[in-house]
Amino acid sequence: MKAEPIAPVLETEPVEAPPRLETPRVTPPLDWGLPISRAQLLALAGLALIALIPIPFGSFGFYVGAYALVYAIIGLSVTVVTGYAGLISLMPYSFAGVGTVVTAMAMSSWGWPFWLCIPLAALATLPISILVGAISVRLKGLYLAIATLTIAAMLGETFFSWSAVTNGDTGWTISRPVPFAGDGAFYVLCLAVALFLVWMIEGLRTSRLGRAMLAVRDNEREAQALGVNVMQTKLAAFVISGMMAGVGGAFLAVLLQSVVAAPVFQSPLTDATSILLITLVVIGGVDRAWGAFFGAIVFVVTQQVLQGAQFFFAFVGIYSALLLIVFMLFRPGGLLQIGKLQLDLIKERPVLGSAVVAGILAVNVGVAYLFVRLG
Amino acid sequence: MIAAQPYLEVTVAGLAAGAVFGLLALGLVLIYRTTGVLNFGHWAIGLMGITVYTLVTGVGVPVLIAVVISIATSMVVGVLAYRFVFRWVPRTKQIIVILISFGVAQLFSSLAQLALGFKNLVTMPGWLPAFNLHVGGATLQSRDIITFLIAIGLGLGFLVWFRSSRTGRALRAVAQNREAAMLAGIDDVRYSSIAWAIGAALAAIAILLQLANRAAQGSSYQGFINTFDLTPLGTILVPAFGAALVGGLVNMPAALAGGFVFGLAQNLMVLAPKPWSNLTDTIAAGIIVILLLARLERFFTTQQEREALEGA
Repeated sequence: MKAEPIAPVLETEPVEAPPRLETPRVTPPLDWGLPISRAQLLALAGLALIALIPIPFGSFGFYVGAYALVYAIIGLSVTVVTGYAGLISLMPYSFAGVGTVVTAMAMSSWGWPFWLCIPLAALATLPISILVGAISVRLKGLYLAIATLTIAAMLGETFFSWSAVTNGDTGWTISRPVPFAGDGAFYVLCLAVALFLVWMIEGLRTSRLGRAMLAVRDNEREAQALGVNVMQTKLAAFVISGMMAGVGGAFLAVLLQSVVAAPVFQSPLTDATSILLITLVVIGGVDRAWGAFFGAIVFVVTQQVLQGAQFFFAFVGIYSALLLIVFMLFRPGGLLQIGKLQLDLIKERPVLGSAVVAGILAVNVGVAYLFVRLG
Repeated sequence: MIAAQPYLEVTVAGLAAGAVFGLLALGLVLIYRTTGVLNFGHWAIGLMGITVYTLVTGVGVPVLIAVVISIATSMVVGVLAYRFVFRWVPRTKQIIVILISFGVAQLFSSLAQLALGFKNLVTMPGWLPAFNLHVGGATLQSRDIITFLIAIGLGLGFLVWFRSSRTGRALRAVAQNREAAMLAGIDDVRYSSIAWAIGAALAAIAILLQLANRAAQGSSYQGFINTFDLTPLGTILVPAFGAALVGGLVNMPAALAGGFVFGLAQNLMVLAPKPWSNLTDTIAAGIIVILLLARLERFFTTQQEREALEGA
């Protein structure tokens, strides 16, 4: 008999607002008959506005934008494994690193075109993701966290130190695929891919597999009793997450254009990029795909802009650590929580709410512009 | 026939490294049991100690006084980390606690980089007497033997103190059942602070033993840190976690003993043929995964403790 997950899809964030009596808000389709609601149209407009931000910054803006979008793609791997399936994996960047190194090797050493390297990078993560997935069936919680951390350290010493794959300290130099070689064109490509993958992961959430993952996250024994195959679900979570990170890694390779594995991927504990990835996903909102997207944009842009400024260089580490601690202590629900508060404000008082949002955006963009000019 | 001398040499080095891992693991277990925080940033608290040690010896303070100052600094830093951050962390979401502990580690390592001036390599004087002992053809280094003796003495002393002293028993009560301990009149925050202070002191001593005495002998400067690349400090934590896992993150004698498993395994790897001898983290990680999959911790922990660790 086929397993039939009938667990209800539960929201993780309990609604904190007092219950209000109101008629269900049904937005009618617009007059000109588009198959789209007003809220969706507004969201699209906002997204387009955000996508246009890099333009005044020129080449640097496009580079940072592409960087953020690549991190959003890698961040989706955290969304699947931690947000949906509730498994703590501290090695997302190791999966991405496998994709990056394999892509760089295939492009420069075998002469493969970039488009073939994307599936290759996704497949290259399979052996490790299946191994970690199999381990995750037996280990839970903090035990799994430690196990993934040590496996990341193991990979740093074996795969990422293997000179046949990484070309030693020289690394690989590759060029971007032809129609997307420029910074602007590459940014557009990354935007398209990131949006497509966000849409896919958002769709996964409501699919049969996604609902099985949520059921396993909320209560493993209950899910099992309801007929969810826990082992299969966890394995699938790690495989999908690994592939997502691998694809992100492939784009990271062509974004950087010069891939030296040794300093980047060897020290998972201190290099902290895995932690940065998990952080940006948690800050964005861990159980929705959009969380990874917005978290990556906010975090990577902040980091890149601050790092670019000479006078601030010494304090970047301290600043971002404090940001992480304060954020996690006071707003563990992440940007989605803040966004929800803002949306409530807009609903209550449209003019004031919109003005506040526009003001925050303007101040942030202005500060970023100042930093770029000064630094 | 393989000569016995290299085995004796690496065994002594392994015992020294194992005792250091054991000390770090003791701190991890103590902090985890009393406050429920699995401190992934444990090494960074020790790093603050060794940073102060480097700065203070740089202006001419005698090394042994510098050691005392640096241990005190680490204790203060540990207590501050608890009072200002970890005390307020909700215990329900493990991923938040993990991220905050990494954030605190990043904060401390950034502060250390700033204090040490972003140099690639920072050197510092050693504080243990350095000479060679010749035993049956093998050359043993004094620092290994002294490190082993200090670490094992501190570890055993701590265990005895934890079992029998008044403070130790109060700490165990908090670890066993926080609410019942508070009802019995034990100040939860005060004893958690004490646990963080002791854990931080153990971390500082472990890292001082390990880092300040590791370079070649004969030079007046014996220790070094790469500030841009804090890898050695980070990788010390992998075997330390492994040692803590031997006791299922809650059993202290098992954690102290577990350090030797990793110290010996990593140092015996040095004798392996060339491409394999570099894989010290890999052997540690392999042992950890096997330990976890074999569920060794079930011999040292109760059902209740395991469920607390596994709950997401």
